[in-house]
Amino acid sequence: MDDEEHEARIAALFRDAATDAPEPGFDIGDVVGASRRITRRRRSALAGAALAVLAVVAVGLTAGFGAGSSSELTTASAGSASGAGAPEAAKAAAPEAAAAPDAAGGLGSGGAGSDGAAGSDLAAPRPGTTAPGMAGVAAGAVPAVGTPLGPGTGECANRQDPALRALVEQVLPEAVGAPEAATTTECRPGGERGLVLEVRDGTSSGLLSVTYLPPGEAPTDTGVAEHAASTGSAGTVIVSARPDRAGDPAPFADRIDMVVAYLAPRL
Amino acid sequence: VAEGEQEFDAYFRARRDAVRRTAYLLCGDWHRADDHAQAAFVALHRHWRRIRDRAALDAWMRRTLVRSIVDESRRPWRRERSTDVPGGDAGRRPGGRVSSEAAVDGPADGVATRHVLVDGLRSVPPRQRAVLVLRFLEGLDVAATAELLGCSPGTVKSQTAHGLDALRAALGDALDDLRPAG
Repeated sequence: MDDEEHEARIAALFRDAATDAPEPGFDIGDVVGASRRITRRRRSALAGAALAVLAVVAVGLTAGFGAGSSSELTTASAGSASGAGAPEAAKAAAPEAAAAPDAAGGLGSGGAGSDGAAGSDLAAPRPGTTAPGMAGVAAGAVPAVGTPLGPGTGECANRQDPALRALVEQVLPEAVGAPEAATTTECRPGGERGLVLEVRDGTSSGLLSVTYLPPGEAPTDTGVAEHAASTGSAGTVIVSARPDRAGDPAPFADRIDMVVAYLAPRL
Repeated sequence: VAEGEQEFDAYFRARRDAVRRTAYLLCGDWHRADDHAQAAFVALHRHWRRIRDRAALDAWMRRTLVRSIVDESRRPWRRERSTDVPGGDAGRRPGGRVSSEAAVDGPADGVATRHVLVDGLRSVPPRQRAVLVLRFLEGLDVAATAELLGCSPGTVKSQTAHGLDALRAALGDALDDLRPAG
């Protein structure tokens, strides 16, 4: 038996192995319906992220104005803006982002495809507006925030959690508009949160995966390079990035630690 | 828009079963296979209007499916084992090898042969399993498999060899057709 014949016989075995298919568990209606739900949710999440960014901008401007108008209290005001005002805004922004999908759930139900560009304009933080979180992380000091997002509340974990996405987009503006990667509909415990995006970082592209595990659920070794940290709600946040092509640099590889540091106190 | 939906509908009806079969051999469980296949079709629907090259749809679906299943196999919650195969793990020896009792009727009984192969595939590492499925179920050559997985042809060849070795190690002499050529 030569190689070609051997491969043909293996191929016949493989084809035969998948012939006893049960009735399909989904039809075209399920697919189109799920697609439209995801599109609606994503638009809502983008709107939530935009609101969060606007809130940060508003608080930042207010604090800056206050500092500029009070010559005697300049130092104190600046300290307040970076030490308390901005984190308070972030604290307010996270619950808003979490609530946005429900609050804005009735937004348009158009097809997939047009939401990314609009979302980018709306939600991309402007230079300086993410400074409270970014600057704190860059300086090695994780900014103190208020009530962390904590475990999910649904019956099943959301694999593309809009509230988690809103936070990721705050620290990684390049994630705004990034397509969601395919995930399964398997029901995981509702306390978990997940996010998997197809991201591009310059010339490298790949998957950015963010997972929140609730308190008591320990991460296991998954065999890929991951960055993890305990969160403000005593859970665990795990962030990983891997390239599309083996051997290429993972997207945002040099910023994953910063993302973890930013997310940990907010989750 | 309506024309696009009709095109998607036609593609879905033409390819659903093939995509489900591929997903099944990749994950070894029809329920999960349906989950992955549906997720891939949902992703395709969301990108449908932006896909210019309709000739590349099959490759896009394969890539999405493989990425989804391999990625999930690396996640902490994907550690549990499927028990979808009739008989569950009853035919397995400790260490993952299929027992000779389970394979006794294999070559003579088509149904048993299928289950033996699927059971054996589940013990092959995910990337190697993906290479085997793409090459032997989907019929892709080495170059096409390498392009789809984003690796070199040499890697595909070595993964094929290692994957078949792992499959033989799991099945023992259950399936004669898996014996090396020559």
